[in-house]
Amino acid sequence: MGFWSFFFILVVLGLSVHWYATNKALKLNAKLEKGSKLPSLPSYYGTYSLLLIIFPTSSLLLLWLVGKPFILEYILLQNIPEQLSANFDGAPSMLVDSIKAVDLERIFPGTNPLIVESATYFKDLNNYSNSFAYFSILIVAFLSSYFSLKKISTTFKARQAVEKSNINLLIFSSTIAIITTIGIIFSLIFEALRFFDEIPFFDFLFGLSWSPQTAIREGQIASQGVFGAIPIFSGTLLITLIAMSVAIPVGLLSAVYLSEYATPKVRQTFKPILEILAGVPTVVYGFFAAITVGPFFKDLANYSGFNIASESAIAAGGVMGIMIIPFISSLSDDVISAVPKSLRDASYAMGATKSETVKKIILPAALPGIIGAILLAVSRAIGETMIVVMAAGIAANLTANPFEAVTTVTVQIVTLLIGDQEFDSAKTLAAFALGITLFVATLFLNLLALKIVSKYRERYE
Amino acid sequence: MKKSSLAIVALAFAFSTESIARDQIKIVGSSTVYPFATVVAERFGKTSGFKTPVIESTGSGGGLKLFCKGLGTEHPDITNASRRIKSKEVKKCSENGVTDITEIKVGFDGIAMANAKSGPMLELSLKDIYLALAKDVPADPEGNTVKPNPYKMWNEVNPALPAAPIVVIGPPPTSGTRDAFNELAIERGCKKFPGRKALKKKDKKLYKSQCRSVREDGPYVEAGENDNLIIEKLVADPGALGVFGYSFLDQNRDKVKAAKVDGVFPEFEAISSGKYPVSRSLFFYIKNAHASVIPGIKEYVREFTSSKAIGSDGYLVSKGLIPLGESERAQFEKDGKTLAKFDAKVLK
Amino acid sequence: MNNLKKIEYSLKKRKRQESRFKIYGLLGITSAVTFLCIILSSIFMEGKKAFLSTYIKLEVYFDPDIIYTDNDQKEEDIKFANFQKIIKNSLNSFFPEISDKGELRKLSNFISSSEEENLMRLVLENKQLIGQKVTLWLLASSKIDVINKNPDMELIAEEDRLISNLELNWLNEIRSANNIESNFNKNFFVKADSTEPEQAGIWGSLVGSFFTLFVTLILSFPIAVAAGVFLEELAPKNKFTDFIEVNINNLAAVPSIIFGLLGLAIFLNVMHLPRSAPIVGGMVLALMTLPTIIIATRASLKAVPPSIREAAIGLGATKFQTVTHHVLPLSLPGILTGTIIGMSQALGESAPLLMIGMVAFIVDVPGSFLDSSTVLPVQIYLWKSTAARGFVELTAAGVMVLLSFLILMNGLAVYIRQKFEKKW
Repeated sequence: MGFWSFFFILVVLGLSVHWYATNKALKLNAKLEKGSKLPSLPSYYGTYSLLLIIFPTSSLLLLWLVGKPFILEYILLQNIPEQLSANFDGAPSMLVDSIKAVDLERIFPGTNPLIVESATYFKDLNNYSNSFAYFSILIVAFLSSYFSLKKISTTFKARQAVEKSNINLLIFSSTIAIITTIGIIFSLIFEALRFFDEIPFFDFLFGLSWSPQTAIREGQIASQGVFGAIPIFSGTLLITLIAMSVAIPVGLLSAVYLSEYATPKVRQTFKPILEILAGVPTVVYGFFAAITVGPFFKDLANYSGFNIASESAIAAGGVMGIMIIPFISSLSDDVISAVPKSLRDASYAMGATKSETVKKIILPAALPGIIGAILLAVSRAIGETMIVVMAAGIAANLTANPFEAVTTVTVQIVTLLIGDQEFDSAKTLAAFALGITLFVATLFLNLLALKIVSKYRERYE
Repeated sequence: MKKSSLAIVALAFAFSTESIARDQIKIVGSSTVYPFATVVAERFGKTSGFKTPVIESTGSGGGLKLFCKGLGTEHPDITNASRRIKSKEVKKCSENGVTDITEIKVGFDGIAMANAKSGPMLELSLKDIYLALAKDVPADPEGNTVKPNPYKMWNEVNPALPAAPIVVIGPPPTSGTRDAFNELAIERGCKKFPGRKALKKKDKKLYKSQCRSVREDGPYVEAGENDNLIIEKLVADPGALGVFGYSFLDQNRDKVKAAKVDGVFPEFEAISSGKYPVSRSLFFYIKNAHASVIPGIKEYVREFTSSKAIGSDGYLVSKGLIPLGESERAQFEKDGKTLAKFDAKVLK
Repeated sequence: MNNLKKIEYSLKKRKRQESRFKIYGLLGITSAVTFLCIILSSIFMEGKKAFLSTYIKLEVYFDPDIIYTDNDQKEEDIKFANFQKIIKNSLNSFFPEISDKGELRKLSNFISSSEEENLMRLVLENKQLIGQKVTLWLLASSKIDVINKNPDMELIAEEDRLISNLELNWLNEIRSANNIESNFNKNFFVKADSTEPEQAGIWGSLVGSFFTLFVTLILSFPIAVAAGVFLEELAPKNKFTDFIEVNINNLAAVPSIIFGLLGLAIFLNVMHLPRSAPIVGGMVLALMTLPTIIIATRASLKAVPPSIREAAIGLGATKFQTVTHHVLPLSLPGILTGTIIGMSQALGESAPLLMIGMVAFIVDVPGSFLDSSTVLPVQIYLWKSTAARGFVELTAAGVMVLLSFLILMNGLAVYIRQKFEKKW
């Protein structure tokens, strides 16, 4: 039985069961007296029966799809001809892969006939087991619809059952966020652990030199890769620092001006303009940094007599700062507006000017919130990828000079993984080690910031 | 509940993609051949009616590694290489069932050493390159014993060179350019010392490891599999010297200038006549078992070997490829048509 | 008296401080706005040139000796014929004095190689052309195009210029014969990527973006709305829902590249979905936009006044019915606005897509969710990383297209908000 015929039968079954259950409930209701009608609306009985088909079948189907590869591989391994497995040098899993890769419609000439035989066997196995699985799932569906139709009576509360299952569905949707987080952690941790098998953890975290190229061929003469991430971390920090020194003053001053000085009309025009800045894709900022800002700084330096790289940290960091301005300004605008009016009024009543009120009363009162905003912005800057990929360097220099080229964690992840599909060398696995460092760092910053901000909210609410 | 049925459809859709037949040629390999191969692939896709091949630049070594993994749709059909296949790789291939391959030579390429236009004009000899970049250099003038490379400045290597630090940005070990550079420049510079040459007869393995290894203490910087990056770095650092193919030099004449090697500039005529010492051939290898299954492979090979592509007036020549002689090209065109089996015996 | 003076003095100082502070604030906001203007105008100045391309008028002779290599005149021969030679010959007949082989090769590089294909199609459709002379406008190659559009480039020194003095002289000769003109660059809107700037277009990546965003929308919208409804309306306040909330807030701030690593490790390496395919890109972006839509859903649910809920519950509706029949429909405009904004973020996102191989060089316009393809922002990134000069303008033009789509989407969001959103 193919998938689509299975699917078709299932759909027909579902629709007819829904129709039948609703009708049965309607008829039942018509027979009953006014006071003792069914506890739920008739359509709920239909929906209930339908759900009782959808849930078991979809979960069984999912189970089958996830479990099938493992089961089939196991059976295949048991049934590989002796001759084939004896003559194969690699691990059995590689043999299984090569059997599975055979396309029986178009067999490559020169393929081992035993492998073809196994592939035919595997294909048949696949077809039979699929048909079997679909057939059993259909039987389950029939059974459960029989059961649900049987259940329709004056005592059965269909609405409650339907709502409960719907709410369960909603809960499941909300847990996608948790599943994603778990998925991120697992996908990073497994590859990162493989990396740390080869490179000691502390060598990675505290090493001073980064040069991830390794030999590829047996017996090839090449350098051993060195994986000390300090130059990368320092580069990331340098660029973040530059970005923050642009974004914090501009963003904060804009926020203060907009919330304290600007007339409503000015506010209405400038706030959206700042939001445009936030909506510009980072690849556009990267292009701007690489084509306009980088050469600008280079020309400036050439003009004043010294030489700098066109991928200088200051170009990438400065443009990243521009990107982050709206982030800081809108978040600080919110916290500044949340400072109670009474504090302001008290300050004005004492004769303070507006700027004195801002500096001495409002900013100190809003400080926790502003710090939270800045932390979020820092986390954003650390994880920003496209600007640095396009405008920062690739070589890992350990320097604090903003006019030199430095590299960042995200740049390294991108350069290590683009083009290489082999997950067997320290070089590619290093990307995952960097990834988990990045994830942990941003997670820490985010949680801290969220905590500070929520504490701050509580204080004035 | 509409959502869950939707999710089922999506899932079924996702899982049913497991075994989809591939109808597109998959090519991997050298970053030096990559720009030529993309041009051919693009024209091939536009004129032939087949899908345009997918090409990834993985480096010659990386490409051959993927190529030799086995037969099957998930393995590439063709790999480009900026050096010849090694006998070890042929062995690896046949272990995995890839026994029938065809070798096509597409042209020549010189390996240029170049620096930024604002940098000094350099004239190097092979001996200078060896002394500046080898891991071990001769400890005595005859070259009987070796010591770790102590040189940091060009004028320590050769007094005629400027007193500037040695910084050479070159390709990583996955690259065929790197392999060719090691064999053509460093090893030949090494041979200039009689003691080293004598070692070759005595202990070939030791000779290879000493005469082909590049220093790892800083002056040789490995860039990724990306020649654009080397150019960018050279522009940023006028004191640095880069190692890349002639075709790439040709495309970036406005940014970098080449150094003379043994008194010869890497120019079109000098490379094709063999006067320029550091030049090698460019190849691609076809998995013949795939040719009858994946549509378009034969036609792609025909396009690549045609005189309109790599003949002396071909479109790849204007992209910087140095063409083969007409008779040699015709021979490879024929090999491509018949998919002549590559005989590993020609490799030493 | 002395005190009064002191006060007066300090008052003046404070007033000065006050106005200085105000100026700082104004400075902050104006610098932000200036940055925006500089970015947009620099992109516009660069990008507007890409919408024109240069054509050269030539008299083309379809030489039968070149088209048919042997006597049996097959269609196959036309397909593989050397049209480059035909173009070269027609250029040579315009410059009869050139005979050097190297110079001729340079001259033939004036015309885009795509014209060989176009001429081939022309001949295939109309075989009578063989043996005739036709005057045609042919697309110029990128370097001629760049020089023609930027006249100031003619002034820079020869070795730094794209073309030599000799080629410049030829170009001037063509100009003085009035055989050159600029016209609308159609290739840019109908083609996909190419190795030659004059033949590269944005259409392929636009289609890729469309497929990717479609998958993203289908996956993220229902899940996010369900999650938002649960968390805002139905969830009990306990540790579990708190944990979900922390997760969502954190995911909203996780660097996008991490989602790319997730996609690479799970969708590609574990589930073996195809590399570079829009379906994988869409799944990754869906995970990324989920938090945005969830947060927007919750905000707009919150904006529905409690009286609506109370009225429904007072009439006997259950909590679930209240939400699905009354609150959700009322908050739909807000949810849609949030979804569009989430989609526009996804449209501009490129970092995670680099991880799952959507950076390949793709010449064919993708035809399905499984074809190798790229998306608009990644195409911009790819063009930027190409060395050839002609791609700079294309990159900027690509940015303009991307920005106009974003403006369109955000405009739609604002429209929906203003037209349908109820003020309570």
